[in-house]
Amino acid sequence: MTAVRPREQPPSAFGEAFLQDPELFPGRRSGETCGEREIAFELAGGAYVFSGLEPSQVDALDGRFGSRVVGPGGSRVETLVFCVEAREFRELERGRPYTFDLDYSRASVRLAGPGFMARLDWTPDLRGALWTAAPGTSFGGAFENYFRVLLAYRLLDLGGALVHSAGVRDEAGGGYLLFGPSGAGKSTFARLAREAGASVLHDDLNPLCRGKGSTALKALPLSGDIGLGPGAAPPEAPLRALCRLRKSETDSLRPLHLSEALASLLASCPFVGRDPYRADQLLQNLHSLVGGVPAYELSFARAGRSWTLLRAAEQA
Amino acid sequence: MIAPSSVLQARADVRYRVVDRRAILIRQSEAEVVVLNEVGSRMLELLQPGTPVQGVLDALATEFEVDRADLDRDVLSFLRELVETGILEEVGS
Repeated sequence: MTAVRPREQPPSAFGEAFLQDPELFPGRRSGETCGEREIAFELAGGAYVFSGLEPSQVDALDGRFGSRVVGPGGSRVETLVFCVEAREFRELERGRPYTFDLDYSRASVRLAGPGFMARLDWTPDLRGALWTAAPGTSFGGAFENYFRVLLAYRLLDLGGALVHSAGVRDEAGGGYLLFGPSGAGKSTFARLAREAGASVLHDDLNPLCRGKGSTALKALPLSGDIGLGPGAAPPEAPLRALCRLRKSETDSLRPLHLSEALASLLASCPFVGRDPYRADQLLQNLHSLVGGVPAYELSFARAGRSWTLLRAAEQA
Repeated sequence: MIAPSSVLQARADVRYRVVDRRAILIRQSEAEVVVLNEVGSRMLELLQPGTPVQGVLDALATEFEVDRADLDRDVLSFLRELVETGILEEVGS
């Protein structure tokens, strides 16, 4: 029996670390919007529309994601953005580990974090609401935290998955997903692969998406040590192999049974992986996405040739 | 105390999926994922609602060439472990 656990989170009542009064968390999409503007962009998972923004918020998002004209209808997720008084949020201690709270229920997910609170509701389609303090420097961070969760659930609904991972693309355009617990070496491996001639999609979060007959890795313009810069056009790559990473004194590669790969992937899926109402669906998605993809455990040394080793195995 | 007369079932918060004869279990309450090998996965499949452990022992004895006493001891020990780790619960005997 092998047990895999997702990352640990400190136990506390929902929102009490971030909100002055968690009992007043909005029960539905309501309040005063920040403004009248709207922005839409397309990423893995389709079109995302954010309404109720004021101009500086639109500019901040446009710079990072690039706005697109999204036509009516089609697959889209809408979020309303509201402004609340800054005093509704707690002042946080400096050096506090960066986390935010999630509260799961059958028809919704609630979020509370530094300077924001949000909810996702399935009514029956997914839609969101985000409350932030009056526009300021905290909006970008609050937005990105919310958006990561929204993206994870949107991908789930579309048969995909968001994985805490490094995504690397070889010279021929093939994609490799490297995953593992915190400290396994995802960023280190991504750097080594880049030095060996590969390109890095992202070293922290990568979506797995259904393609036509194959699974695709898609890059995201989100914060990370290595990856796309703001506004860059997100590339994608057909998934060639999965690798569970572990640091070692030497480089070695061994095949990984699909069940082990799925269990480790599930534990590497943030937000949805801990959702008791949807983790089962996520496992189904992962099985469908990676069932036919070669999986390995890659032990790699800091100054080793792990990328070359992985490529050689795939080309054999 | 898990015995051949015990009746066990997966706890309500456990979901599982068999992939290539191994079971991937999700303990939703703990956000934990457990993988059982082929034998463990087969045991889980044999634990039909209301079936005592004796039924699992008898079925496995026909499927594996192993000393019966060793099989009973090892299976009971493993089932005990699954109960202690919150994957199975005893619902009767």
